[in-house]
Amino acid sequence: MHERLSFYVKRDSFLHRLNPLTKLTLVFGLILIAFGSPWYWTPHGIVLLVIFPLSFLGKVQREYFQAAVRLILPAAGFLFVMQALFQPGGETVLVRLWLLTITQESLLFAFSNAMRIFVMVSSFTLFLLTTHPSELMSDLTRRGLPGQFAYVIISTLQIIPQMQAKAQTIIAAQRSRGLDTQSSFGKRVGALVPLVGPLVFGSLVEVEERAIAIEARGFTSRRPKTSLYEIPDSALDKALRWGLIALVVASLASRFLFD
Amino acid sequence: MKFISSIKKDFNTMTWVLLPVAIAINVVMGQIVVLLKLPVYLDSIGTMLVGALCGPWAGALTGTLSNIIWGLAIDPNAFPWWPVAFFIGLVTGFCAKGGLFKSWWKVVITGFLVALTAAIVSTPIAVYLYGGITASGSSFITAYLLQTGQGVLQAVFSTNFLVEPVDKISTALLAFAILQGLSRRFLARFPRPENVEVETGASRTELFIAIGVVIVLVLIAAFVLVKILG
Repeated sequence: MHERLSFYVKRDSFLHRLNPLTKLTLVFGLILIAFGSPWYWTPHGIVLLVIFPLSFLGKVQREYFQAAVRLILPAAGFLFVMQALFQPGGETVLVRLWLLTITQESLLFAFSNAMRIFVMVSSFTLFLLTTHPSELMSDLTRRGLPGQFAYVIISTLQIIPQMQAKAQTIIAAQRSRGLDTQSSFGKRVGALVPLVGPLVFGSLVEVEERAIAIEARGFTSRRPKTSLYEIPDSALDKALRWGLIALVVASLASRFLFD
Repeated sequence: MKFISSIKKDFNTMTWVLLPVAIAINVVMGQIVVLLKLPVYLDSIGTMLVGALCGPWAGALTGTLSNIIWGLAIDPNAFPWWPVAFFIGLVTGFCAKGGLFKSWWKVVITGFLVALTAAIVSTPIAVYLYGGITASGSSFITAYLLQTGQGVLQAVFSTNFLVEPVDKISTALLAFAILQGLSRRFLARFPRPENVEVETGASRTELFIAIGVVIVLVLIAAFVLVKILG
């Protein structure tokens, strides 16, 4: 149950140095192009020609391919198999298995869908590997995102591991008292209450104290806050962002022109 | 600007501090359920808690941020489903505002309405983003319905409609049980403690009316489902 709570890998690379907003634009740009472009091979091209090279450029290729094998391939693969088998329609029958038929059309449909999902999840993974969450939040706050949102996201990322540890302790404690968490369905449902109760009530009690603490530190103050870290936003960043927006518009426009 | 100021009133410091805890409850509960191998998700308990205690928009924000953080920290596959979580929080909030979070049978109605909304909202996402069959276990039902000649929209919606109510009603009941376990003094610090005050002395006739309402709702839903499928 203990997962690493941020994908971020600290390296010094071109991708790491880019402004977080530029990388975010890149993520949404790639997704929109993959879903919006009228050509069948666009998502495949993006994976091979953009996402794979970017992972090397960001010096996170090892972590990226690990994530791809562990998270992205199972989901996309399952999607591909299910859709290839069960998508109705299509004329050219390739294989006939018992009740199921695989047609060329359903195979192509499944493949392009799986690739789109692959592009979507991959580009997010790449973004998360090269951007520290607090860097992203301070940059967005500087651009006008209310500070409360940054507080919620950053503090959640800290609270989840604490709570997972607490859940582990509670599960261990209840098991040592003889709580059955593995046998029949009824017993497992019954185990929910002694596990959830202490966990949820324990965490809710802390809420009030924390509210008083951050209130005392000017949480609701409206005055502009200064930041200790300066996040670079170069001319290259701006150029890249505009270039990406132009590309997205072009691919969406081409969909209307060629469809 | 009465609307905006009423939203602002729901976001006091207690709400902002509750949000991270509620999101963490969503995530950790989702994982405990996987550990216990139960056939539900229960990953929106925190969202429903906030929706009931702090109003619809706070609930909607909790749901949205839950999915964003789930995507940021655990599994990027969670990002596209944020509208579903948004509406789970929103509908819970409006139900609670209408007094549907004050006794267990009313909470069942809330759970049912939330499930209906979730089924409706997740259908277009599953259809247009994933082509109908997603990477979850219930897709086998969708696949079966597709093979029997249903349209994609109908197949996905009926699947969701079969799966969601069990999950959302149990989630709502759990959230209700948690709220009952908290002290009045603690609840009073949140923007809408009156939403979750228990009604005492619910009469027998009221209970029968409630059971009637649930039956009628189920019948209507079943009728709509048959209409779509037929």
